[in-house]
Amino acid sequence: MLNITNLHATVAGKPILKGLSLEVNAGEIHAIMGPNGAGKSTLGYVLGGREGYEVTGGSVMFLPGTVRAEPVEALPSSNLGDQEKESPSTGSGRTEEWIDLLALEADERAAAGLFLGFQYPVEIPGVSNVQFLRTALNAQRRARGEAEMSAGDFLRLARAEGDALGVSMDMMKRNVNVGFSGGEKKRNEMVQMGLIAPRLAVLDETDSGLDIDALRVVADGINRIMRAPDKAVLLITHYQRLLDLVVPDFVHVLADGRIVRSGGPALAHELEREGYAQVAA
Amino acid sequence: MLRQAAHDGWDLPSSRDEAWRWSDLSALPGIASQRPAGTLPDALPWLECANDGPRLLFVDGALVAGRSRLDGIAIGPVEAEAAGHPLGRLVPGDGWTLRLGRGHAPAAPVQIVHFGTGGANHLAARVALEEDAQASVVETYVGEGWSNRLTDIALAKGARLMLARRTGSAGFVSLTDRASVGEGASLVVANLAAGTADTRLDGLIRLAGEGAYAEAGGALLARGRQRHDVNLVVRHERPGGTSRQVWRSVADDRATCSVAARVEVAPGAQKTDGEQSLKGLLLSRAATINAKPELEIFADDVKCAHGATVGELDRNALFYMASRGISEAEGKALLTRAFVADAIDRIGEEDVRRAFGAHAEQWLGRAHG
Ligand SMILES: Nc1ncnc2c1ncn2[C@@H]1O[C@H](COP(=O)(O)OP(=O)(O)O)[C@@H](O)[C@H]1O
Ligand SMILES: [Mg+2]
Repeated sequence: MLNITNLHATVAGKPILKGLSLEVNAGEIHAIMGPNGAGKSTLGYVLGGREGYEVTGGSVMFLPGTVRAEPVEALPSSNLGDQEKESPSTGSGRTEEWIDLLALEADERAAAGLFLGFQYPVEIPGVSNVQFLRTALNAQRRARGEAEMSAGDFLRLARAEGDALGVSMDMMKRNVNVGFSGGEKKRNEMVQMGLIAPRLAVLDETDSGLDIDALRVVADGINRIMRAPDKAVLLITHYQRLLDLVVPDFVHVLADGRIVRSGGPALAHELEREGYAQVAA
Repeated sequence: MLRQAAHDGWDLPSSRDEAWRWSDLSALPGIASQRPAGTLPDALPWLECANDGPRLLFVDGALVAGRSRLDGIAIGPVEAEAAGHPLGRLVPGDGWTLRLGRGHAPAAPVQIVHFGTGGANHLAARVALEEDAQASVVETYVGEGWSNRLTDIALAKGARLMLARRTGSAGFVSLTDRASVGEGASLVVANLAAGTADTRLDGLIRLAGEGAYAEAGGALLARGRQRHDVNLVVRHERPGGTSRQVWRSVADDRATCSVAARVEVAPGAQKTDGEQSLKGLLLSRAATINAKPELEIFADDVKCAHGATVGELDRNALFYMASRGISEAEGKALLTRAFVADAIDRIGEEDVRRAFGAHAEQWLGRAHG
């Protein structure tokens, strides 16, 4: 699903990621933990394609396995060298190919199946959640050569997703994240994820700012939306408590711009007991 | 030589003149020397309204009677005057007059389409509403050339007028308004400058009766080397008046939008409540937005607030949208639309608001296509 090899990235000229490698397969949930300032959010932004986060080395390959009606011009389909793996099209028109994620614009990455859950979701005055999401959903569908969704279908879907996450239709009609509490913003991120139904979700501190009830709602959302054989999650957190509810298959420690240790769920408990300094040493 | 003579003949203000410092009228003599093609358009931008009201079609400033429905609107000499105004005084005094008697309130708006085919044309207008009369007027400017207008507005006690204008044409549109708002009367002027025409809007609105209300604002959308220029004075002459000036300017490429808006509070105009909000959005580093709010207060018990900000699109919001699959171009359009909505959503009449919203949308769609 995701293959990060020796990734280097700078922010404002300062090296932050210093040779990060990580492999995520379909059906897996990976937790990334690490001290403040380790570069966790930077990793998320680099994957998402944010301007100002400059990749200076390494590669990121993405195999979304997206169902696609026809090839999309914006996505590179050749020159993938050694990493090119192509399975033959099946009867349903499904094509699978590795994508050079770093060659795509941010919106193209989203259309390819990547979702970035923000540590600090952005407020957009004057644009309602409904308008924002419908525009996003239809932009992605267009980019994939699919038909746009009607207003009626969209509203039904939005209502169902909102209900599941305790986000009322009233909130859906309000401006994106404007006046939302920290917890509401995070739940709203999950509503967006549910509607967009990505292949790979990179969730940056989705648990921060949540009380225990909201944490449970959000965790249920992650499990429901993303626990599937053809999906994967990169869960950035520095608390054990989310990982009790969304149990990862792998736990990695990111320190000083690199993965310094990897293990199973037990590693998270070890980190909780002994701290990063000890474990990362 | 001929051009020069024409220019001298026009005697237009220069940018050395304070009220015209952001204007560029240099193209006007050239436009005026062109010969109008005079061809009638097929499709006209009439608004879809629940009820049909009067419709006037002016081509190059002349009424096309066959495609108009006067319904009581008078065509002929107009009592309108803008002494000393360099553009207003060019208007010879013929045009249309809407006069409504006491308590009259037609159900449908008056629609006026000004279609230009080149050259200069001048037209005067007067809206005179007697006590408690109500009207809506929607003007649309399309085509090309220079359309120069002088509009006189007189609202008696309790009268209400909504005047909405949009420019979608090429060339130049200059509008000069002189308005007097009586006791408890209400004047709302909403503008949408889109299209590719340069525009100049001059307004003097006098709140001449106690408790009068005036609102003047709109959205200015400019790209290329387009210029929109607003020079507005709202004068509170009597106590208890309220005024609102909400302008949203968007400038792309090398375009310029300028708004100079002044609130004057005369001695004795106590309990005046004046608000100005002038905001600008720069879509390009080479674009210019001038916002100059001014207050001149000669009374002590007044509440006047003004704000002027000029900014760029929020990069964080653009990335947030991109991360959800919205392209940079579409994200910019969405944010710009939200910015402009502040001004357009103030239009109270739904038919008009929807039409103006769609018009702005179309402009934005093209700007970011
Ligand atoms: N926009 C930025 N400009 C300059 N430095 C930044 C910026 N964003 C992050 N950094 C720096 O990059 C490093 C990693 O930050 P970040 O990825 O946010 O860490 P984490 O999410 O692990 O706490 C920190 O030293 C931080 O100061
Ligand atoms: Mg972080």
